[in-house]
Amino acid sequence: MLFNSFSFLVFFVVVTLTYYLLQHRFRWLMLLLASCIFYMFFKPEYILILAFTILVDYYAAIAIGTAADKRKKYTYLVASLIANIGILAVFKYYNFINDNITGVAHLLGFNNPVPYLGMVLPIGLSFHTFQAMSYTIEVYRGHQKPERHFGIYALYVMFYPQLVAGPIERPQNLLHQFREQHPYNYHNIVTGLRLMLWGFVKKIVIADRLAVIVNEVYGNYTHYSGLAILIAVVFFAFQIYADFSGYSDIAVGAAKLMGFNLMLNFNYPFRSKNFTDFWRRWHISLSTWFNDYLYSPISFAKRKWRNYAVVYAIMITFAVSGLWHGAGWTFLVFGLLHGTVLSYEAVTKKFRKKLSARIPAFLYGRISQLLTFGFLAITWIFFRSENFPKAFHVIKSLFTGGDSYQKLLQPAFLYHLVLGFLAIILLEIMQRLYGEMQFNHYIEKKTTPVRWAFYLAFTILILNFGYFGSNQFIYFQF
Amino acid sequence: MNDIVLKLTQLFRDVLDNEKIVLDENTTASDIEEWDSLSHIHLVVEIENHFNISFTSAEMQSWKTIGDLAAHIAAKINA
Repeated sequence: MLFNSFSFLVFFVVVTLTYYLLQHRFRWLMLLLASCIFYMFFKPEYILILAFTILVDYYAAIAIGTAADKRKKYTYLVASLIANIGILAVFKYYNFINDNITGVAHLLGFNNPVPYLGMVLPIGLSFHTFQAMSYTIEVYRGHQKPERHFGIYALYVMFYPQLVAGPIERPQNLLHQFREQHPYNYHNIVTGLRLMLWGFVKKIVIADRLAVIVNEVYGNYTHYSGLAILIAVVFFAFQIYADFSGYSDIAVGAAKLMGFNLMLNFNYPFRSKNFTDFWRRWHISLSTWFNDYLYSPISFAKRKWRNYAVVYAIMITFAVSGLWHGAGWTFLVFGLLHGTVLSYEAVTKKFRKKLSARIPAFLYGRISQLLTFGFLAITWIFFRSENFPKAFHVIKSLFTGGDSYQKLLQPAFLYHLVLGFLAIILLEIMQRLYGEMQFNHYIEKKTTPVRWAFYLAFTILILNFGYFGSNQFIYFQF
Repeated sequence: MNDIVLKLTQLFRDVLDNEKIVLDENTTASDIEEWDSLSHIHLVVEIENHFNISFTSAEMQSWKTIGDLAAHIAAKINA
């Protein structure tokens, strides 16, 4: 079920109302059933995948908790990880790996007997398997007690607001919240609804509006050059941010309405002054996951290598992170580009610190921010392009002039272009309101009519300037 | 304990290249801007070399504050 669909609107109202009408001891069951329905709207039979990993991880965690010695605990952890990564390998990476084997076999003059499997990628697979792995790893590390209540554990994996696109939660933050009573609280309702409203504006008014130009230019990339390509590349950066953080806002808001606190997933990523900073502000639930479970163990194991350990661990982490986003070489390159820049930053930290002392802070900060955004936008070309020839063509076109200026001035294109720029301005103004001016506190102090004028303005924005095709959230494909 | 925290302060200043760093038992990673997962590994190696000890991955994960770290070091030196 898409958040930006009419069925979700009905679903959400019914679930939230029922939640508060029910006694605490029945709520987990209702939420679990509702989450199953939410998931099965997509492809009902795939719920078996979830059932399989939930069963394996539930019993693996209990086995880890009760095992007497370390070696046994480790064996159960590995079994759980193999089950989760195995599911990912089959449903997400099978065809990618098999295609490459076929390619190599053809080069060597053989045929690959293993068939291609025509299957749809299960929605949110990378998100909920990562959340499930976090659980068994934390139990193994002794930071989390195994959950004995099967239903509550299943709900931890399936909780509908964050099931298909995160935030990827940790058991320490989420599991106990299902046991706590959440009495009706007006503040939670208002904060949650406000966040959801803003999330919908980000998705429907900003991201989907920017997508019109992005899709046009990327869809006919050989017809555009220079400025048009540059605009599409910049628009895509804002699109992917508004799309994904909009989803997160709706998820966090929907959970907040029922008294649940999900983790912060975005913290003004475009204010980053370098890539290291960016990964502390962008998709925080994923970057901390990779830091805790991949980067830290690898860099610790190789710590005697000093700087090389850091670079080695970063490159492996970002190669995996690239492939996490999608089973394709372009995603691997996306990850490796980020890994390379982060490695550079790690190695040149002292040099850059000295450099920054010689340049006025204001100037250095602005230049760093601009360079970071520029590089980011370029790495996202690999994210948005389906293959390398397209990605390289787009990058080359960035630096060539050409006759596409006339296309920019066509009324239909110009109309969407202006709306796109207005959407970005709206995003920036709202970010400022939410950030520096503490929009939440600011608006709470206003009188009821002023508050409702704000909400009404947002709703009118969505209805009038929103783009109403059935646009999936970008991160749903992962 | 205090000696260890003082020595740690010196190591942190050297590794993180910031003479203004002041540590106490309640200091956490979020209190020190330069202390991130990238510089962390350099700190660990310097601490291990200086005190001639070796940490396990599980020990490293259990540190929440400088106090936790200093307690681990003290236990290892006295072992």
